Amino acid sequence: MVDFLIGLFLATLITALFTTRLYRLLFWYALNSLTLGLLALTIGSRLHDRAMLLSGALTILLKAGVIPYILKVLSRKFELVRQIPPSIKTQYAIMLVPAILVFTFYLAEPISHMVQGNANYVAVSISSLFLSLLLMIEHRNVAPKIVGFLSMENALFLLGTTATEGMPMLVELGIFFDLLMAIVVINLLLYREEAQS
Amino acid sequence: MSALLLYFLTIALMVFLAPLLLSFIKGVKMWLLYKRPVSITQGYRDFAKLLCKESVISREASAITRVAPFLVLAPLVVVLFYLPPAVKGAYYVSFVDAFTITGLLALSTFFLMLLGLDSASSFGGMGASREAFISALVEPAMVLTIFGVSMMAGDLGVGQAGVNLAEHFPSEHMASFLFAAISFFILLIAENGRIPVDNPETHLELTMVHEAMILDITGVYLALIESAASLKFVIFASLFAGLFLPFGPELAWPLALLVFVGKLFAVALAVALIEVNTAKLRLFKVPNLLGIAIVFAFLSLITFYVLGA
Repeated sequence: MVDFLIGLFLATLITALFTTRLYRLLFWYALNSLTLGLLALTIGSRLHDRAMLLSGALTILLKAGVIPYILKVLSRKFELVRQIPPSIKTQYAIMLVPAILVFTFYLAEPISHMVQGNANYVAVSISSLFLSLLLMIEHRNVAPKIVGFLSMENALFLLGTTATEGMPMLVELGIFFDLLMAIVVINLLLYREEAQS
Repeated sequence: MSALLLYFLTIALMVFLAPLLLSFIKGVKMWLLYKRPVSITQGYRDFAKLLCKESVISREASAITRVAPFLVLAPLVVVLFYLPPAVKGAYYVSFVDAFTITGLLALSTFFLMLLGLDSASSFGGMGASREAFISALVEPAMVLTIFGVSMMAGDLGVGQAGVNLAEHFPSEHMASFLFAAISFFILLIAENGRIPVDNPETHLELTMVHEAMILDITGVYLALIESAASLKFVIFASLFAGLFLPFGPELAWPLALLVFVGKLFAVALAVALIEVNTAKLRLFKVPNLLGIAIVFAFLSLITFYVLGA
């Protein structure tokens, strides 16, 4: 089950890389976060870790529900461009994405020897970290860059849950709070851009 | 029931279901678009009507037009015998691998393109060149995907792979299995000319692929081509059902067949939902979609090899 969710996590991220419409991108981000939350719930229920269950539920609630909704509202409010063709052509991205995946899978090999149990998940989370970096690089508009940043955070969360079998609750709550703050900051940033233009 | 009898029963069922599935897709689409859906038996009615019609052949056409419709249908009928079994204990062909099946499908496509060129109309040539373009891109991803699944199942033969997967599902390789399934579903859509790649219902010159090739074909020949198209869909749907939804064959045989039919209809429903929800891609964007299929197929292989997940 965990393997299936990990696969779905990577698949939604790769699909997000090839998306050219903003709302579709937000949808894929929400699906990505949903799989992440379900992953945390599955691992949490296996370890009987109530803190992880709580953080999984919070992930589903915040990242799969509230944050995409807020971003959608913001993009409506500031009339952001909804056509977001990646500046890296799809033909090149088709070669780049497998190259990144192979590279990171081998890169993570020494690290995954240190982790007991879920060794694969470290490789998948590091590769999704690189892929979300690519998502930030390949777009010129601000909205997909924000989504790239948020998916990078998702990748780090995946690394945290799978590699360490659950970070302390306080850290995770702090991250959630940070994320909401980031959304507020993004809101302010968009306001500034609006004022300048 | 004897193994051989079940084998032929499954094949007969697939042949019987083939027009039904396409009418089902059409019906679901019309129902979702608030139209009055076509009857589910429309496929059979069209077939019967075409059989009674006179067939007119263009003056410019050579002997190929008379021969090619049979040669379009024949490889697909052969492929029907090589599919993974729907019922445990049924006879199956274990040694036929992905290359043979892809090759037979390509042979059928080749004669379809020849048929398009032979009618000497400009539409035929256009459709044939587009079909060549798409099928050339489908083949590498197709081979990669079925190869990846065969690795997970531990056998290169497609039929044997289906049996192995049903007996012992590789739940430790779930991630690479999922990637292969996504890739194969994109290929299913592309090979059957469903909406993001080709619209089967339009006769607009900008968008036609499959329809452009068979524009000059009438009567019995058209009936053959149409049944070839529906057989192709049922082949892909049952490959998807046998390799990627490998549950059900261990049940008692009537129940197993019922589960198999249910899976075919589930695939058809998924295709219909995608058709309603997406717009047709421009022809020159089709390589991007098939490129994504290749990415997922490749990803499935490297996830299997490097991570073992």
